[in-house]
Amino acid sequence: MQDMTKYKEIIPGKKRFETLVTRVFIFCLGMGMQTAYRIDPDVKKEVDSWPETFSFCMSVFGGPSLLMLKKAGSFQCLGEKEVFYCDVELCFKSIEYAYLAMTGRINTPNLGYHNRQFVKGNLKYMISIIRVMNITQTLLFPNFIARFYIKEVPKLTFKKLINRAITYFNVSYGAIK
Amino acid sequence: MLFHKNEAIPEYYEFFNSVKIISGYKALENIPFELSRVGAKRPIIITDKGVKQAGLVKVVIDSFGGTDTVIGAIFDETPQDSSNIVVNQIASIYRAQKCDSIIAVGGGSVIDTAKGVNIVITEETDDLLKFMGNFRLNKPMKPFIVIPTTAGTGSEVTMAAVIANPEKNIKMQFTSDLILPKVAVLDPRMTVSMPPKITAATGMDALTHAVEAYVGPQKNPVSDAFAFAAIEIIRNNLVNAVTDGSNKDVRLAMANASLLAGVAFSNSQTALIHGLAHANGGLCHVPHGIANSILLPFGLEFYIEKGPKTKSKVKTNIENLLLAFVGPDEFIKVPVAERAKATVVAIRKITEELNILSGIPLRLREAGVPEDKLGQIAQATIDDGTAAFFPIEVSYEEALGVLKAAY
Repeated sequence: MQDMTKYKEIIPGKKRFETLVTRVFIFCLGMGMQTAYRIDPDVKKEVDSWPETFSFCMSVFGGPSLLMLKKAGSFQCLGEKEVFYCDVELCFKSIEYAYLAMTGRINTPNLGYHNRQFVKGNLKYMISIIRVMNITQTLLFPNFIARFYIKEVPKLTFKKLINRAITYFNVSYGAIK
Repeated sequence: MLFHKNEAIPEYYEFFNSVKIISGYKALENIPFELSRVGAKRPIIITDKGVKQAGLVKVVIDSFGGTDTVIGAIFDETPQDSSNIVVNQIASIYRAQKCDSIIAVGGGSVIDTAKGVNIVITEETDDLLKFMGNFRLNKPMKPFIVIPTTAGTGSEVTMAAVIANPEKNIKMQFTSDLILPKVAVLDPRMTVSMPPKITAATGMDALTHAVEAYVGPQKNPVSDAFAFAAIEIIRNNLVNAVTDGSNKDVRLAMANASLLAGVAFSNSQTALIHGLAHANGGLCHVPHGIANSILLPFGLEFYIEKGPKTKSKVKTNIENLLLAFVGPDEFIKVPVAERAKATVVAIRKITEELNILSGIPLRLREAGVPEDKLGQIAQATIDDGTAAFFPIEVSYEEALGVLKAAY
């Protein structure tokens, strides 16, 4: 009779560092999008084209998530609220993919090309959400870093610098609050 | 980029296709056996009026002769742009007639409708909205066989379906490997009655699928092989299919090319040219194949011009594509610097020949697109779902530039 005690259940590691980095980055991205809606006309135009009470979620399979809600003339970052329903969900298939994306080692277009993330819900709004995220990333990062995240980085202007400073302030304030 | 990689192999890719392909003379006669393998013997046939009037449904029914398979019901009222209402109607017929499998006989609309019916029945729902998007299905689907009657859409091997929702005024897109049919049957009898203009348009649609799959950012060695084979078959057979529609060998070759291109673009998405074609179809009702045929050379010219200014390898991919269009003897005679433009010339040669033979338009204005709508079309293009797969960033002005060039 074979000894079954040597076959034990194995619980894989938690990848706490990757999860922490991802959690911090998606929080910054969420706060950045909330700020960008107020200061960037292109982001405002995109978000205003979405239906009232439109929500989208950025999530990681088995990991952290971020819920954004457009409601009553505002665009809010609701953080890691439990998601019962959202119009569009952008889901990373693994925490490792999210971590690589957040650290600029896979850019946003490549995530799609490689099928490392997928979309649930109405695909009609997906392109618009990607544009909002791209603009937000140009506000969050200096151009030489932003080029690791998006396909084409727009030219740096004085207005963009001011907007970047406002975004940094709001993201920091949001983190303290 | 995560690591230094072999130029021929992408850093990462996924490929999936589980469809059994049955192609050839009297291929339809295999269907009852294929159904019996999955324990089904009472299929519903989903088709449209045009297919029925062309006598193709009768050919399918006759192929069941001598077996104990019974056709549970035939639904032949699938409209051009199918909706969730039609899907639910067919699902209720399926349940009432106690069917156990689905056979789609038709083009893209019929096949997409059948995929929708399969979702509704398998998920025991009447609300397709819940399953919109990617990978939302979890249950194994009912046995599903597709018999395409056009050679262009490639829907028989794609994991996507588009179904309208008139109440919400949206087009619902479903993507899942589970909606792939079990079997695709390519029988030359099913495409032999296609008129020359539709043959030309659907053939150019298949060619555009293959070209976009090959030059797009999701390309991979497996999809490349399918795309390359599809282009070679189309190059050798499309013009013959238009001039000699009754030639079953040529028809079967085109059906295979369409399927190969379908496998390729299902795993390496379509991009700018399809985005432009979707927008032209949505706003000006230009048939999809015709829009693709007009826009294919202009879209590639845009890539050739802008590609080298970006990190994209799209121009190199277009250069390599020349081999499929002209064969090895001609390919080696063309200097590398001229290969991309030579690819466009080779495509123009095909479309111009088809224009003479079938009257398929070469410009958007000939297809009835009003000039004042180009702006709206450009906006719809950059909002289209394919925009996520454009190999290079395309602005509104650039999309408008391509449209104006094609006008």
